[in-house]
Amino acid sequence: MSDERDTPLSMRGAGRMFRELGRKLAQGEAGPLLVLLMVAAIWTFFQFQNDRFLSPGNLTNLMLQQSAVATISIGIVLILLLGEIDLSVGAVSGFCASVMAVLIVNNHLPPALAALAALVLGAAVGLFNGFMVTRFRIPSFVVTLAGSLTLVGLQLYVLGETGTINLADSFVTRLTSTFFPPLIGWAVAVLAILLTLAFALTGRARRARAGLAVGPLWSLLVGVGVIGAAFLALVAVVNQDRGLPLVVVIVFGLALAFAYVTERTRFGRHMFAVGGNAEAARRAGIKIDHVRLMVFVLGSTLAAAGGVLAASRLTAVNQSSGGSDLLLMAIAGPVIAGTSLFGGRGTVWSAILGAVVIGSIANGMDLLSYSSSVKFIVTGAVLITAVTIESVTRMRRRGTIE
Amino acid sequence: MHGRRALRWFGATALVVSMLMVLTGCSTPASTGGGATTTGTAGGSTGPLKIALLLPETKTARYETQDRPLFEAKVKELAPDAQILYSNANQDSAQQQSQADAALTNGAQVLVLDPVDSAAAASIVTKAKAKNVPVISYDRLILNADVDYYVSFDNEQVGKLQGQALLDKITKDGNLGKTIVMINGAPTDNNAKLFKAGAHSVLDGKVKIGAEYDTPDWSPDKAQTEMDQAITKLGKTGFVAVYCANDGTAGGAIAAMKGAGIDPKTRPVTGQDAELAGIQRILLGEQYMTIYKAIKQEASTAAELAVGLGKGTGVPSSMTLSKVNNGKIDVPSVLLTPVPVTADTIKSTVVADGFWTTQQILNTPALVAAGKLVGLQ
Repeated sequence: MSDERDTPLSMRGAGRMFRELGRKLAQGEAGPLLVLLMVAAIWTFFQFQNDRFLSPGNLTNLMLQQSAVATISIGIVLILLLGEIDLSVGAVSGFCASVMAVLIVNNHLPPALAALAALVLGAAVGLFNGFMVTRFRIPSFVVTLAGSLTLVGLQLYVLGETGTINLADSFVTRLTSTFFPPLIGWAVAVLAILLTLAFALTGRARRARAGLAVGPLWSLLVGVGVIGAAFLALVAVVNQDRGLPLVVVIVFGLALAFAYVTERTRFGRHMFAVGGNAEAARRAGIKIDHVRLMVFVLGSTLAAAGGVLAASRLTAVNQSSGGSDLLLMAIAGPVIAGTSLFGGRGTVWSAILGAVVIGSIANGMDLLSYSSSVKFIVTGAVLITAVTIESVTRMRRRGTIE
Repeated sequence: MHGRRALRWFGATALVVSMLMVLTGCSTPASTGGGATTTGTAGGSTGPLKIALLLPETKTARYETQDRPLFEAKVKELAPDAQILYSNANQDSAQQQSQADAALTNGAQVLVLDPVDSAAAASIVTKAKAKNVPVISYDRLILNADVDYYVSFDNEQVGKLQGQALLDKITKDGNLGKTIVMINGAPTDNNAKLFKAGAHSVLDGKVKIGAEYDTPDWSPDKAQTEMDQAITKLGKTGFVAVYCANDGTAGGAIAAMKGAGIDPKTRPVTGQDAELAGIQRILLGEQYMTIYKAIKQEASTAAELAVGLGKGTGVPSSMTLSKVNNGKIDVPSVLLTPVPVTADTIKSTVVADGFWTTQQILNTPALVAAGKLVGLQ
């Protein structure tokens, strides 16, 4: 078996590869691939309806529209990996952004400092949630649900009687209105490819050192090649419009950083261990409460960061910031892209992919000016379909293993 | 074991999330805090005049910061020893039912009711009628019930005023017959339907509507995405103006135009509510107009009417009544006229009324400079 894998790509090898791919798809092991197929289907549909859907301008819009929710979703993934839930992320994002706006406009604090204050405030909320969960053993969704009500109240309080607060052009608004010139865009893409390659190679080396089976080098290079091509295509597309948005670099940077944390660090392994089986993790000597506390802090900090990005895009904060269906979408995104609601399984990238799926549907339907009734029905139907597919493939895998 | 735990989690999460959707997703979002409070001193039914003021929610700034104090001030002016039983239903119609029961039990002689749910509030009216207590439907019309009076702004008129202001500006710019974008309010809000109908009655046939959206929850973020997509659909030069139903959605649409590299000063945008943020955008030239509904006038009118009914002196002679059908009867109504506000009239409207102070409006150097041009300083 391993001999055959090492032979160069032959007809027989290709056939095997496709069969293997089919099996993986059917059993949900090729999570990202399934989601990418879904994205392809959605994009094809909308492109046929309106040929401006895949235009550089619209794809850039899609990225800007989804940057806040993708950021919040990264935090949600970390929390879901533990088998916990945080229902306060929407409220945290709205509240922290409101505090930031008040600090900038009413207290004349430098915008960068105010944004930092928002992140610190988010971390503090996460610390409180984590403390309640670990110290008093209150289920996380009760703590965070109660917390979110309090935060909505606090948001109304800090916004006071004026309600909406406009943000003038500043560090904060430039987070989502800065676009890099083409050359820098290409440079960032090359850097991203090198980082991906290094990530893959060191991962392979670690497996080899640990005496685990490693795939052939060519398959790794093909993988990195595909991802690299995607990066280059992305930059080629955005360069035709306004250029590579700063916020896309920020969101990808965050995703990369947290992918590293979850997949390569001791802390990340502990997260998976706690999420998979907390009791086993505890007996293995992992300080599970410490892990939980830290993850709640990270989740809320990322929610605050999402709130800052949302405020930056709207150039304003109001009573409904962080409200509406933001929370639902932030949780649904990673889940439809393969992160389990029950802990121990998922990747940070599902946050990005999920945001792309949900964002594409909303973006496309707005482009076609669908009525609200159609929009609600379609969004709901797509969400339930996606989760069903995810669930069915998971059941099949379990069936084959046991 | 795992499966059952999983199922429980899923069910609970779904339940909680749907609760949150209901809580936060309504057209006029709900919130925490509030609850029933009373002002004045307690007294028996033979004591001083008791008026119940039942407001629907606390998330929109107006109810707690404008309606309630203005109403109370006017009542105190007309009847110094009157007692006001105030409660706020936090967007929960069941809670409003209990609050109305409590007010009637406490001996309220007049109910001034701004219903959470226009249809469900009919049962409150029935209970009040059984005790011979008159009901004033405040701001929102209570449907299919024997309501005594209705005090509100003419909401279809709001849409007409927005449409007319936009049409006048489009005509002045020489753009009649060209394409505009329409961003309406929440599809679940009856008032939003009236604004939309009013605007269409003026604009249809005079301009082309290139893209039109209803904005769930009146969410500015959603309005921004809608406008992004309208620009993608029509092109950056494919529209000459934007109808937005309120200032929140206008803010979203203007942010979308800025994001696409369009100078919002070149595309007139409408609004409503005279929000501080909206007034500031108008000063800076980014938004063309807003609609100012003088809540002071609305609250004072309701207060005068309530005191008149409570004392048995009837409707003040200064009020002109029209009829609005609520599905059961023609309700005698005081319909107030909303006022359009552009940069030139900020001083004579919202500032003159004390709705916003000059200090509140001019909080950045750019606004101070813009304010000087229209005599605000």
